[in-house]
Amino acid sequence: MITIDKLCYNSKLRYVNAGEKFAFTMITLLLCVISRSIVIACIVLTATGILTVYKGGIPLFRYMHFMTVPLAFLILSTLAIMFNLSRTPLDLFAIPLGEWYLTSSRDSFRYAIQLILTALSSVSCLYFLSFSTPMPDILNVLGTLHCPKLLIELMLLIYRFIFVLLSVASAITDSQHSRMGNKDYKTSLKSFSAMVSVLFIRSFKRANALYDAMESRCYDGTIHVLNETFPPEKKHIFTIIVFDIILLTLTVFIKLYL
Amino acid sequence: MTHKQKRIIAVISALSLYFGLMPAASAMHIMEGYLPVGFCVAWGVICLPFLAAGFMSIKKVLNENRKALILLAMSGAFVFVISSLKIPSVTGSCSHMTGTGLGAILFGPAAVSVLGIIVLLFQAILLAHGGLTTIGANTFSMAVAGPLISYGIYKLCKKCKINTYVTVFLAACLGDLFTYCVTAVQLALAHHADTTILGAMGKFMMVFAPTQVPLAVIEGLLTCMIMMALETYAKPELKAIGFMEEAK
Repeated sequence: MITIDKLCYNSKLRYVNAGEKFAFTMITLLLCVISRSIVIACIVLTATGILTVYKGGIPLFRYMHFMTVPLAFLILSTLAIMFNLSRTPLDLFAIPLGEWYLTSSRDSFRYAIQLILTALSSVSCLYFLSFSTPMPDILNVLGTLHCPKLLIELMLLIYRFIFVLLSVASAITDSQHSRMGNKDYKTSLKSFSAMVSVLFIRSFKRANALYDAMESRCYDGTIHVLNETFPPEKKHIFTIIVFDIILLTLTVFIKLYL
Repeated sequence: MTHKQKRIIAVISALSLYFGLMPAASAMHIMEGYLPVGFCVAWGVICLPFLAAGFMSIKKVLNENRKALILLAMSGAFVFVISSLKIPSVTGSCSHMTGTGLGAILFGPAAVSVLGIIVLLFQAILLAHGGLTTIGANTFSMAVAGPLISYGIYKLCKKCKINTYVTVFLAACLGDLFTYCVTAVQLALAHHADTTILGAMGKFMMVFAPTQVPLAVIEGLLTCMIMMALETYAKPELKAIGFMEEAK
């Protein structure tokens, strides 16, 4: 149902210590966003690409497909940054539209390229985390970072319920479709809203049943889960530190001298 | 071909390319890495008071009634699921609801702010909508600003005794539009290379309008139809979350 979730449970990097992966993602992501440089973006893009596809064993085709998910947002908003409507033409090019020009300057063109690369490399960082670390592991890491207990518990329950509700929703949608529930636009709107309201009722029933089940098993406000932990490896930590120090020095160098 | 014909063909192909790309755009999540660090931090800080208020209100409810945790989690999952489902759209391609309008009407804006940030985190990690660094900005537009407006309109129209369904439609639709405006402002504040902030805002709003305005109308319609169905079939459940008492 959620492809990323399925893929990450099959990743070869799944049993690597989650803290390592989390730290690597966050530090690299921050450096990427802070530096906003083309060089660093390219380095990060290749590094995380290799890690996810080669080390993690995510099919290349799938990875490429997922890189295009945010493409619509990227293209639309970059168009808005690059193009200008003004009475005076700028230096890169200008298309006359009556008295006005649809125009762009060299600076904003460079700015747009930089922005696209930064955004893509940050997305690849995010993908490294989500393609290698299952949600419960991430929640564990958040727990050790002293995120409020209530939030963690809420997230754990929400994560579980998402799949319950998604399976109900897809079953209802399938049966609606097999009964011509999408024969025209009006009908499909009607069946969608019917599906959502039934989903709401079902989710309440499920929640009540779950509460009864938990109560009968001595639920007292905290959910106890056995955690699988894998010890961090020195080799990994060393590599992460070296990689990020190189990125940091590059960032400092670029910020100071360019 | 004359020069004019060439230009017409260029314009038509640009338009068709634009509308060909357009339907893939989902709700307006600012993507990972799109905002500079300063803005990421600033929007996160702006969200904090709302989140703290939401957290306190959830805690208070939980102290009175422990069962509410399960209900709250189910509502969070509900918001996630309706925002990840494809809704029927005119062009027959993929678009999503924000679901926060419905959430705000059902569960109140305080709870939605906390649920919203969790849902956005899940959307970033599981669906690649939005991102970790932009979570502050996205939380502000989708889990704070939109729901607050939805809830405000809902309450106001209730006071003025306007028809329930019109109210729900207005609340969901305008909440969605407001989310879209706030996102445009956020983008414009961060990226205005050649023009003023206002000019950049206008450009962002123009570019996203063809996807977002129909989406807001569809979301309003759907939320309205969902509320109709809920009031017919789910009275006890609505009572349980305190919706019906307010409605009377």
